[in-house]
Amino acid sequence: MKILLSWLKDYIDIKETPERIADALNMAGLEVEAIIQPGKHLKNVVVGKIISRDPHPDADKLSLCRVDVNRGEPLQIVCGASNMKAGDKVPVAMLGAKLPSGFEISKAKIRGVESSGMMCSKKELGISEEHGGLYILPEATPLGEDIVKALGMDEVIFEISITPNRGDALSHLGIARELSAIFNLPLHREPLGDDDGNGKVSDEIKVEIANETLCQRYGARVVKGVNVGPSPDWLKDRLEKVGIRSINNVVDVTNYIMMDIGHPMHAFDLNLISGKKIIVRPAHSDEKLKTLDDQVRTLDSSMLVIADAEHPIALAGVMGGAESSVSDKTTDILLEAASFQPVSIRKTAKRLAMMSESSYRFERGTNIDNIPIALNEAARLLKEIACGNPVKGIFDAYPKQEILKQIRVRTRRVNKLIGINLTPAQIETYLLRLKLEARREGEDLIVSVPPYRHDIELEADLIEEVARMYGYNNIPETLPAITSVLKLPTPLQKLENRVKQHMVSLGFNQIISYSFIPSNIDEAFREKKPLLLKNPLSEDQSAMRTSLKWGMYDALRRNILNDEFNLKFFEMGRVFHPATGEMSEEHSRICLGFSGSFNNFDWRRSAEPFDLFTVKGIIQNIGELFGFRFKFAQGVCSVLHPAMQMEVSCEKTVVGQFGQLHPNFLDNRKMPKNIFIAELDLGLLAKKTVAINRMVPIPELPAIRRDLALMVPATANHRDISKIIADEAKTLLEGHYLFDIYQGKGIAEGCRSMAYSLTFRDPQKTLTDEQIQPIIDKIVNRLDKDLGVKLR
Amino acid sequence: MSESHSNLLQQYSSERESAQNTAELEALRVKYLGKKGEITEQLKGLGKLPPDERKAVGAEINRIKNEISESLEKAMREMALKEQETKLQAERPDHSLPGLFNRPGTLHPVDQVAREIADIFLAMGFFMAEGPEIEDEYYNFEALNVPSHHPAREMQDTFFLESGQVLRTQTSPVQIRTMETLQPPLKMIGLGKVFRRDSDITHSPMFHQMEGLVVGENISMSDLKGTLIMFVENMFGKRAYRFRPSYFPFTEPSAEMDIQCIFCEGKGCKVCKSTGWMEVLGCGMVNPRVFEAVKYDTEKYTGFAFGMGIERMAMLRYGINDIRLLFNSDIRFLRQF
Ligand SMILES: [Zn+2]
Repeated sequence: MKILLSWLKDYIDIKETPERIADALNMAGLEVEAIIQPGKHLKNVVVGKIISRDPHPDADKLSLCRVDVNRGEPLQIVCGASNMKAGDKVPVAMLGAKLPSGFEISKAKIRGVESSGMMCSKKELGISEEHGGLYILPEATPLGEDIVKALGMDEVIFEISITPNRGDALSHLGIARELSAIFNLPLHREPLGDDDGNGKVSDEIKVEIANETLCQRYGARVVKGVNVGPSPDWLKDRLEKVGIRSINNVVDVTNYIMMDIGHPMHAFDLNLISGKKIIVRPAHSDEKLKTLDDQVRTLDSSMLVIADAEHPIALAGVMGGAESSVSDKTTDILLEAASFQPVSIRKTAKRLAMMSESSYRFERGTNIDNIPIALNEAARLLKEIACGNPVKGIFDAYPKQEILKQIRVRTRRVNKLIGINLTPAQIETYLLRLKLEARREGEDLIVSVPPYRHDIELEADLIEEVARMYGYNNIPETLPAITSVLKLPTPLQKLENRVKQHMVSLGFNQIISYSFIPSNIDEAFREKKPLLLKNPLSEDQSAMRTSLKWGMYDALRRNILNDEFNLKFFEMGRVFHPATGEMSEEHSRICLGFSGSFNNFDWRRSAEPFDLFTVKGIIQNIGELFGFRFKFAQGVCSVLHPAMQMEVSCEKTVVGQFGQLHPNFLDNRKMPKNIFIAELDLGLLAKKTVAINRMVPIPELPAIRRDLALMVPATANHRDISKIIADEAKTLLEGHYLFDIYQGKGIAEGCRSMAYSLTFRDPQKTLTDEQIQPIIDKIVNRLDKDLGVKLR
Repeated sequence: MSESHSNLLQQYSSERESAQNTAELEALRVKYLGKKGEITEQLKGLGKLPPDERKAVGAEINRIKNEISESLEKAMREMALKEQETKLQAERPDHSLPGLFNRPGTLHPVDQVAREIADIFLAMGFFMAEGPEIEDEYYNFEALNVPSHHPAREMQDTFFLESGQVLRTQTSPVQIRTMETLQPPLKMIGLGKVFRRDSDITHSPMFHQMEGLVVGENISMSDLKGTLIMFVENMFGKRAYRFRPSYFPFTEPSAEMDIQCIFCEGKGCKVCKSTGWMEVLGCGMVNPRVFEAVKYDTEKYTGFAFGMGIERMAMLRYGINDIRLLFNSDIRFLRQF
């Protein structure tokens, strides 16, 4: 909202600098976003009159002018423009003047002729972007006057952002009221209009309110014989400076009142109101109204309309109707000032997507007491600037007088909540500065809240007013003297934090991708039916992710397109699944993404591209670190290669899967085949119990190590071999592991050579080779019998 | 000492000094102390001397023998060390080659800043609470004193789901959920993703917020100021600050906290729009209506709440000029932090 300093001065004699005023408003909670001072950088430029214009003796394109600036001898100025003649009034930058561009005027010799000043174009004054020669001023511009004043550029405009609770501050009166409280200055402008006039308003119009909840008060005034036409300059100027386009004197007056005292008004052409009657009522369903913007609106019964005897003529508080609007032919005016229920106005404006300055103010609450003032002021102005004849009186439909709210403020509570120590008298003084009148009741104050302060409903609201006046920055600084209840991090929070740190140590870069996905995402990426947004920003972000794989896939893909092939990403975040009863479930997940090779910064070993087993290794590493007993089985995730994927489970619950990206999703040539994605559900894992290990004594007796090199046919696998080794060796086997796999020369087609290392130990006595050999024989026999695996 | 003996010693000394390696020292040992060495020969010749001289000369030769023997041993040890050193030095590789290691990854800048902020509050005795990202309107609005059709809803443009639930527009519902389950005194922070229908270089439809709440007996606005000043000083260093009145439906009185611009130190720059101040967080005393919603005794308990955007903090800290960079997962961006 734009507020003019000169307009504020109608109400308050404020002498502070614009900066000081802005600062004070900021510190009172009315945020000044900008101070606009069009003439600030224009000094020492005055209105001059060209007395004579002659050619420059030495240059064809230059003129030699004598210019009267009403300061003794006329100035001699050399000028390059050509659109002026003797007798024209022009802006003259005198010696020492500084222009907005930073250019400073000094005495100069131009082609041998002395020049003492400069005549200016609009561009040079910073008013316009176009050059267009000298700015020829209107004949009536006072000679010698400072150009800033002559052009009305001395205005100071505050751009203020008003929080939704402060509807009362949406006008010059409202801001002046705040300033009067802040600087402790009197507000002095009284309403100037009265309800005098000829005739009787009830002969011209009758008002009937059909719904007293939606319209608490409706005031109507009639002004006859109005000359509809352009507004006078002062009115146009003020409206334009606050950003409202001038339409005609009648509409301008209603807008002016709104910007002045904050009450929205509407003007009807009295003669287009049928039956001399105004009815404020809910619309009938499917009733139609053509609004001022020439749109035909279909109404329903939740919307409040202003109707005449036949049909709606305005959408209450939102916008007038086109048919009853004021035009060139209008002579008699019906002025409306009313009070509508904020929620109803807001619903209607939202439903029809038509927010107006008027609805904006009604939504935030207006001052019901301002209705007669607004009407009388408007009538006075119409009389003054449009030759109107006001009809005597206001038709004031006000069925239920509004009662002022009374709120008790306890001194002890004020001091307790703010942390200060005021007396009841001090509190009273602060409140009074805000026109909040209070009655004392012991240590308490009973405050009458003026009808425009819709934001004050509770004691706490008044305490805020006291705090504002006291100054937030004067409040002392202490620390809370409480000890909070103890709430330790949940197992999930702990797991998330530790895994995050672990992934970083392993070389992964954390990504955060949007929680949104396209609703038409490839079926394969839908783990569940995604939850859809009712009002998405775009198709790409129209549903909620059901897994983290899409975001990871997208991140890998986009980086690869940027020629970044070596990627190790992880993301931790929630996914959203539909649940019973239209509700949703949230699951905390981690997703890993791999492209390229593990050891890309290794100058000794050649790079090892990611494969299923490096990825499996990372998952196993996580499992071992956090004590989860992971089991792996063939996976069935449709985003992944059908043979190159595994499902991870922990204590019989499936907790995730990993594998190579399905070749169908390699959608550009740059994407290498070996892209891997893994996803684990941290919420499920956090529920798993992690056993606490009991210490086992360090063995004192030596172990025996034996290696087995096996010839393994294609039908056998590591898991089965491993199981047989463990089964047959029983308790004497301390451990065993696979240390080599070889295929190729010397090995039969389809077979693998697999080498295992076995460690035997008996904690009670030293083992001998003779004790071990029978066990080895049993293992070898069983491997051959069950799996066809032979010793090499 | 006889002249011949003294010459012998002198000869030995000069030969030992010119010895270059352990092999040459070994040759010296043989030359003087070996079976046919000069000292050995002289000892053998003792018998030819008259008996009265024999003892004295014998003692002198033995003394020379010991002297040479000790001196040789010492030289041998030193020479061996020197030779080993030379040999080890020859093993020196190109030290300038990079180490072979698994490069560490990076935490997302938003995560890093969030942790830093959380750590300050955790150290001040706060605990960390969480809540769902898809919320009921009740928790996101009504319980926070934002009735439907209230203009305050315009402050946060909301995403709705088909089910009628909303994507939370703030982390404040976490306050409500915490208060529903815990009784005061409590000091909590809540951290997480929030969503608003807004997208440009400073607004993202998804971002992160940190929320704080302190409730107890006699909690006042001065406690709010003290706590947040302590936070800001630990986060941004000691600098000027101010509290401006503002409006949030769930707090009353409400305030915004500004700190002296960290880029221009208050002189005025582009980042602070020449004001010298930077807004860092919103805060206020919990509105009694919020306490009513969670059935806290509004007479007994008072409290304060605050909230801040993590992305904004991260952007200020790292000089990031476009919020969308944070969610583009571009490795060229991520690896910088
Ligand atoms: Zn700055």
